[in-house]
Amino acid sequence: MSSLVLSAWSAISPYGVGNAPLRNGLAEGRDAVAALDRDLHEVPFQQAALVPDFTAARYVGKKGTRTMDRVTALAVTAVGNLVESVAEELAARPEQTALVLGTGSGSVQSIMDFTKDSLSGERPYHVEPARFPNTVMNRAAGQSAIWHRIKGPNTTVAGGSLTGLLALSYALRLHRGGHCARVLCGAAEEFSAQRAWLEWHGRADEERETPLGEGAAVFLIEPAEDAAAAGRTALARVGATRFRAYRGTDGPREALTACVRSALDTAGVEPGAIRFVAPLGGGGKLAAEEEQAVIDALPGVHPEWIRMRERIGDTSAAATALQLAAVLATAGEQGLGPGEAALVTGVERDGQVGCAVFTGG
Amino acid sequence: MTTTNELNAEDRARIKGIICDILEIEPDEMTDTSRFKEDHEADSMGAIEILSQLERAFGTDIDQAELSRMVDLDGVVTVVGEAVAAKLARAN
Repeated sequence: MSSLVLSAWSAISPYGVGNAPLRNGLAEGRDAVAALDRDLHEVPFQQAALVPDFTAARYVGKKGTRTMDRVTALAVTAVGNLVESVAEELAARPEQTALVLGTGSGSVQSIMDFTKDSLSGERPYHVEPARFPNTVMNRAAGQSAIWHRIKGPNTTVAGGSLTGLLALSYALRLHRGGHCARVLCGAAEEFSAQRAWLEWHGRADEERETPLGEGAAVFLIEPAEDAAAAGRTALARVGATRFRAYRGTDGPREALTACVRSALDTAGVEPGAIRFVAPLGGGGKLAAEEEQAVIDALPGVHPEWIRMRERIGDTSAAATALQLAAVLATAGEQGLGPGEAALVTGVERDGQVGCAVFTGG
Repeated sequence: MTTTNELNAEDRARIKGIICDILEIEPDEMTDTSRFKEDHEADSMGAIEILSQLERAFGTDIDQAELSRMVDLDGVVTVVGEAVAAKLARAN
């Protein structure tokens, strides 16, 4: 079990920009999915869960954001709200703070727009050079670091719907390897027409209708003693992360149960201590397998289930990070209490399952 | 057939709009001779961006060597006018 704790977090969700809208939205049990303006969005979905009124100009500023795409602006904004918690440390030793950010493919919208310009313009090079950086996967992580002067290791992690958990796992290794004093870690995802079409074509029929969501969540991960010294509350201790591959449609249940058991074992957590479970969820067989796997691993336990996908849609790469944010939002200002634990799980349709265990006190 | 490198007022306004957008300034901040670099904090990336956006907008090629003349709105209008004229001459 690591000595690392989550001591601050920052979320942008379809409930709004900031932690308070997420906290309130969940407390009220509100559904953030709404009808899409089809004149504005030419997509095969009737509904989506968008971050209300979010634009780069509004939240990041008018200067330097003309060509910043949506996922980058979401990341820069979320990281910006988080760095307020470590402003002193960041100013004193900027190279000691790492940024690990999860993303889907970067912005598929930006990638396709740029490629289309090159293919359909009068000349292949009649493209907007300033938009080129949006086409690389690490644009959001890089720009977030540049914008907020974070000079430690800068990593982009992509792993489908498990992205947030994989980024967390990477962040733990990065710190264990001695590469930084603390890590800002999370994931971001944007709503776009191109992502909508890719999801529409890539999904199984049974989950095709799940509306898309978007958002970002980032966490400050640091040693417990550093958090205490700085006067930051340890909201949760990172117990363990586990990942496994599965085969076939019956595979995820068994694989995830093994993951959860192993993570609980490593974290030294009794199943009965689990107070919150935040699964990836959604519709279809995979979601049913996921919940059954957790029940198998926690026999006789009755945790509070936090089902984000029902509330804010499918946030793809940001999903598991937003699930963790939802756990912290639900746990309250003091985080997980002594003896309490939380479980975040995910099933990626490409054949991977994962989970993370967090403890309080 | 005579070729002219005089762009009309509409083209000039369009060019100004493109440049102001790239430099992130309001149109009334830019005069015909205010300098992009010295007066509007343009960097080399901004200059390349202006050149390529104008190529896209006017469907023409502008040699990068012309950047040395594209220091203010008057300079850019002249360069674009010549590029458009050269394109028309080739087409004829």
